[in-house]
Amino acid sequence: MSLTKVYDAATVFKHLNGIINVYKPAGMKVKHVRNAILGNICKGLNELEQREPRKLTKDRLLLGTGTAADTVLHKIASDADLSDHILAAGPRYMPADIKCAAVATLGDHTSGVLLFGLNGGLQQSSLIQRNRPVRVYHVTARMGTATESHLPNSRITVRANHKYVTAERISGLAASMQASHQRKMYELCGVDLQTQAAYELACKGLLRPADNSQTVIYGIKLIHFDRPHFTLELHTINESEEYMAALIHDMAIELRTVAHCSQLRCIRHAHFDVMESLLRHGWHLPGIVKNLRQQRAVLEAHPQLLEQQRVELHAAS
Amino acid sequence: MLHSVKAVTHRLARQYTAKANRSILSQDIKKIKNYEPKISGTHANRVYVWGFQETGALGLQTNVKKAQERYTEMVHHPTRLQFSNNNEITDVTAGYGFTAYAVKRSDGETLFGSGLNTDSQLGFQVKGNSKDPANLDVIIYPTAIKLPREQGETDEDMQVRSMSSGRAHLVVVTQNGTVFTMGNNSYGQCGRSIIEDERYTASALINRIPQADICGAEDEIVAVECGQDHSLFLTKLGRVYSCGWGADGQTGQGNYHTAGQITLIAGDIEKERIVRVACSSDCVLALNEQGDIFGWGNSEYGQLDDSVDAETQICTPRALTLTKGIGKVKDVAAGGSFCMALNDQGLVYTWGYGILGFGPTVEQSSKPQHLLPPLFGRNDFSNATTVISIGCGVFHMGAVNSDGDLFMWGKNRFGHLGLGHKKDQFFPFKAAINGKVTKVAYGVDHTIALCRPHI
Repeated sequence: MSLTKVYDAATVFKHLNGIINVYKPAGMKVKHVRNAILGNICKGLNELEQREPRKLTKDRLLLGTGTAADTVLHKIASDADLSDHILAAGPRYMPADIKCAAVATLGDHTSGVLLFGLNGGLQQSSLIQRNRPVRVYHVTARMGTATESHLPNSRITVRANHKYVTAERISGLAASMQASHQRKMYELCGVDLQTQAAYELACKGLLRPADNSQTVIYGIKLIHFDRPHFTLELHTINESEEYMAALIHDMAIELRTVAHCSQLRCIRHAHFDVMESLLRHGWHLPGIVKNLRQQRAVLEAHPQLLEQQRVELHAAS
Repeated sequence: MLHSVKAVTHRLARQYTAKANRSILSQDIKKIKNYEPKISGTHANRVYVWGFQETGALGLQTNVKKAQERYTEMVHHPTRLQFSNNNEITDVTAGYGFTAYAVKRSDGETLFGSGLNTDSQLGFQVKGNSKDPANLDVIIYPTAIKLPREQGETDEDMQVRSMSSGRAHLVVVTQNGTVFTMGNNSYGQCGRSIIEDERYTASALINRIPQADICGAEDEIVAVECGQDHSLFLTKLGRVYSCGWGADGQTGQGNYHTAGQITLIAGDIEKERIVRVACSSDCVLALNEQGDIFGWGNSEYGQLDDSVDAETQICTPRALTLTKGIGKVKDVAAGGSFCMALNDQGLVYTWGYGILGFGPTVEQSSKPQHLLPPLFGRNDFSNATTVISIGCGVFHMGAVNSDGDLFMWGKNRFGHLGLGHKKDQFFPFKAAINGKVTKVAYGVDHTIALCRPHI
């Protein structure tokens, strides 16, 4: 099959189904990202070839009535319905015409992978959400100052020295916290530890939480240390921005200093990677359509994203 | 003052700033308090303790009245020992209801102990002034055990090289190679001849044996391991010496008598260079340089020999045939009715009778079987984690992995698994300890963990 170039807005709209992977900038609300994406889609669609206005029926009541307007009306070519003309009815595509839902939300300060389901992709987005896939974050902390909300844009509460904090100390603490969170995971998965079932689950390794009420952290790893900043890689389920910021704060207290969370970036959501994420300058119709196609390939490569029923968990999903 | 007002007005000149941000920008940086955390315990090691508290073995209480109250009977969660904040603890050992700590101190004391002292296993401890000595049967906080010194022996010589404790005796080897034994000697476990009707309560007797008397001048004792009522000494050349109760053959001397004399063990280990001896009750495992396992003592549950007509007591060390297939062994541990081995791939094998870690349905296994690595913290997020050391008490087992996490399973007498409850644990489960575990002393109803702090 040869590829043909599409100039027709209706054809594009018909194929606007699936998941898109958008890079959310920090400091922007998810709602605003959604509005910008939908606005740009509509703008792009409206710039394509539009549908002609509807035709009127043969017996046009306006003509042949013998009034003075007859001559003017006859000059309007053909039998087009003027009430359906773009100039009269407004643009063909409005943001409200496109159904759009985020798979999981990100906090205001977080940047990174944000998945939206468009039109027919809404079904897929709710399936992915229900499977509770792991999200991977890079969280940067700044040692030395603590803030009220543990995030950068709030009042500073205390200062502290951090010259004795080393990368080995942080990674040692991270490994220990990871083991403690994985232990917590068994308590949250709702199984009695004194049973054979618990043993069999424990042999499989990691488990998913039973519902989305509890945050579970599977992996904490120090990936970068440059005083006063250090960056952790977190693998989590059911997390929130506040939870991760509080985690940074607690870690700093354990390291005998204080810190706040200066950057949060989601680098992976299930198999949807930040490398394929659509940057802000690419939020236009051709970019979004290309992105839809890429994410469809991801879903085809990993069908378990939509239909998994297992409780055990692997790092890659 | 004027300067700061200026700075604030300068920042507030940005009229378009949101109201929420304005309060942040106008914050006076100079008034922010400095956080200076109180550093308690700057020592390299810290100690966590948990389990049965009433014997005083945990050394957490400082008030005798409070220690007798009902709710302080047991400690369910690993708790930091205050004594380790004030002292540099280098080694720990846990006996039946008592604990001994090897300590580096400026005042020259090297050995401390707390817990039951009914048989003077923690030396001669008196209450109040020494004119009116009332013996302490229960010591609730670690107190110094004074090792008798000869003329010219320095504090450095008295540092502990290795120590171990049994049911009611304590054996310590110091840096200059002197063996000190104290406590009950009714089976000769202290390495001296048995005295009929000897009173052990309030006894000031600490037996002192130079290592040359045990193993000759060219060899030296590197480790000591105590079972229930016997003691084993391991030397640098890989020889094993023993004394004490031998009713199950645990002294390995080829007979079932009690022995008050420390004697070299022969049998299959005669020509081998033994590097590790493990024992917590009456079954003994030994490991040679090549990673082969030898065993002697109680074999009622088929720990040492699983053949049909196997003896239930083995009094001569023999090379184990049932562990032949598990590769090179790095570490061994022997409990009351089960045994464990760790091979060079980091797999933990258990066999015998009891809670072996294979869930509640498996109570007995005559062949060594390995526990799956995910049980010890191996998963996609930490895929290089392996078990590096194992150990066990009489009824429970434990393993430490390369991340310094301690995993425990088995009977949960008085909450000595440190899981926060008294229910038995049927597969390895992580104990919540705030530090990297370096050594664990498994007592009969309490556990002591020596850890490195995170910072």
